[in-house]
Amino acid sequence: MAFVRTRLTGVTINSSLKTYSGYTLFAPIGGKQTLLIDMEGQIAHQWKMGHRPGLHAELLANGNLLYAGHVPQGPLASLTGAGGEMLEVDWNGKLVWKYEDPYLHHTFCRMESGNTMVIKWVKVPKEIALEVKGGIPGSERDGVMWGDSFQEISPDGEVVWEWLSYEYLEPKVDMICPVCSREEWTGANACEVLPDGNILTSFMRTNTVAVIDKNTGAIKWRWGPGEVGHPHHPTLLNNGNILFLDNGRHCTGLSIGYSRLLEVNPKTDKMEWDHMSTPWCSFFSCIMGSCYLLPDPYDPYGPKGRSLPNILVCEGAAGRIFEVTHDGEIVWEYVSPFYYNTLHFGRTNMMFRACRYGPEYEGLRGHYVAPSRFGGVVQEKSDKAGEKRARVRSRLEALGY
Amino acid sequence: MDSAKLSLRGVTYYDPSKAYDGYTLFAPLADFFVWLIDMQGRIVHCWKMPYTPGQQGVLLPNGNVLYLGRSETQKGPEKELGGYSGKLIEVDWDGNVLWEYENDYIHHDFCRRANGNTFIIRWYGMMPEDVEVKIKGGVPPSAHVGTRWGAPGEMWATAIQEIRSDGTVVWEWKDYEHLDPEADIIGPLDWRSEWMHCNSIEELPDGNLLISARSLSSIYIINKTTGDVEWRWGPGEIAHQHDATLVENGNILCLDNGMGRLGSEISYSRALEVNPQTNRIEWEYKDNPPTDFYSGIQSGCQRLPNSNTLITEACRGRIFEVTPDGEIAWEFVSPFYGYYMAPGWWNVIYKAYRYGPDYDGLQGKILDPKKFDWISRSYGLHRMHTQ
Repeated sequence: MAFVRTRLTGVTINSSLKTYSGYTLFAPIGGKQTLLIDMEGQIAHQWKMGHRPGLHAELLANGNLLYAGHVPQGPLASLTGAGGEMLEVDWNGKLVWKYEDPYLHHTFCRMESGNTMVIKWVKVPKEIALEVKGGIPGSERDGVMWGDSFQEISPDGEVVWEWLSYEYLEPKVDMICPVCSREEWTGANACEVLPDGNILTSFMRTNTVAVIDKNTGAIKWRWGPGEVGHPHHPTLLNNGNILFLDNGRHCTGLSIGYSRLLEVNPKTDKMEWDHMSTPWCSFFSCIMGSCYLLPDPYDPYGPKGRSLPNILVCEGAAGRIFEVTHDGEIVWEYVSPFYYNTLHFGRTNMMFRACRYGPEYEGLRGHYVAPSRFGGVVQEKSDKAGEKRARVRSRLEALGY
Repeated sequence: MDSAKLSLRGVTYYDPSKAYDGYTLFAPLADFFVWLIDMQGRIVHCWKMPYTPGQQGVLLPNGNVLYLGRSETQKGPEKELGGYSGKLIEVDWDGNVLWEYENDYIHHDFCRRANGNTFIIRWYGMMPEDVEVKIKGGVPPSAHVGTRWGAPGEMWATAIQEIRSDGTVVWEWKDYEHLDPEADIIGPLDWRSEWMHCNSIEELPDGNLLISARSLSSIYIINKTTGDVEWRWGPGEIAHQHDATLVENGNILCLDNGMGRLGSEISYSRALEVNPQTNRIEWEYKDNPPTDFYSGIQSGCQRLPNSNTLITEACRGRIFEVTPDGEIAWEFVSPFYGYYMAPGWWNVIYKAYRYGPDYDGLQGKILDPKKFDWISRSYGLHRMHTQ
């Protein structure tokens, strides 16, 4: 185990004067619990679920947790991002709503109407799949290429709207990354429903961030190929720009291995802001990750009484969450100590996304979040590594080091 | 620069019962120094070089450091080709430059022969047109409108040369005369600005040459007499590797960076040993989780006399030693930060080397950490940082 990487855990930076204080929610990929921690890294609340995340959870304004679970027996369970169930549970973990479909994957968006936008895998018709360029030749899974569909699910479990990616994408334009397999075309990992009803998404495998017109299904805007490497989590900013995480994987040329946050103006297609950590390589999430814009802090002297907000970044593959200011200063940092053995990623503390809820968030109102209820560490792990370090330390001391 | 991963520096782990005792030499890419540290991370010697590292320096058996430096006034290929250097110098224990070979086109690696000659890798003019049109792979020129890298007619050729100390070229091998466009295909994410991007060279006991070509994700054994490719291996197995060397059991050891690893869900690096007779991987070291060891560029691995392997994870400025079972026996994080290339402020190291106390090059040398205590302290290297 890499000692340098894993030794520091918990909250490692907390510049409390500059942070957006609140509670941070995340679900370690290899475990079955979703955790809500305070600014000092203590567990304020947890939900124990039946299945591992497929891939994350969110705290709704009504105080319930909406959780995408990974059903291990699903037909595509081994594809990264596989889900299978959507569960809404109350603060105490009691099931309030459930929706199951073995082809659910990655994420969801609970809409104002009460419906839920989800992503599902659908087979790309063979004649279209043959036209799709890119990817490793012959690497389709059992000869099938899976595409994405966005579906709006009513509380009754009815599909009230559907968008099939292969009907609107262009095989000659939307090319799969050349070193990824052809078992999937796009690899959608986001489905944000915008205020105007349109859907903002990111297609990891075609290196594209896109806006889908809900009425016509047409792709209103797409950006990314040649500029980014496997993006995640786009969100719409107040100024109309799109903020997202450019993971920086499989870039052309000297792909050093660093991730960055990007803000792109969809009207001009120009990058207006970016953030890389110092050094660049210290922030790299080959897969997963998120960047939630935090609420504008109240600043009576700032323009319109508001200052530029911080961003909560999840460096998923490293199990690290940090809050960064617009100037690039890291004001809060947390490294998850919750490691689990997984089949595909080894012994890991990865999480897909992490979000922050401030004390004024309706979903937290009235709930008891005192950390003292979870005194000890929740994770079940032996401290073999720590015992070994202690043994070696005493050996070194005996030798006079 | 405050981040969980960056706050540790110096030796973070050391198990004397498992680690190979000796001294570690490395050259942080962002500065002009070459450092020699002991097993506790304390500086025991340093050289101030006239140039920043093009890549690295090695301690020769004669006690001098052979160092490939980066020329600031380089007039050669675009610096974006990566690995550009320009100055190969031999420096004595006290930092005096005893020998210098200046050539704007040399890059990455070198190999000093027993007879005093040196193998170097260099860019060698533009690729002949009739060969370039046959070379497959790479980013299609149309994909990056507005840049020149890999535009037709913009591909550089690579040569390996053996030079005498007076600079005369006594042997030469050119990629376009010996590689095979059907077998040696540029990776889909690489610019077509070169065919090979050769990044390591080692002379084998039988006189043949072992080289590593990053853009082709391949390692080769070249017959020195004929120039023929005797053995090639790599595509589909390794990705953008560095530092191919021969180990005692006849296998080839290399650092498989894993950048653009075909079909892999995650990005990870590994050190591995491949048997050139059977093309089978007989040993590998990966971290758990694998993503904890990843360096997209540079890096190296050295097999030590006790069967451990010293690995340099360039992008994270980390040097560590692993046993054949994959246990870490020693780990060091460089505290030497500075500006290097576009990524700016970081502690990147290309490759580090370990030398035992009975290595020829260290005989008769004073290796007293107290002599450099004042430097060690300012970098936090006066003590170990194990927990």
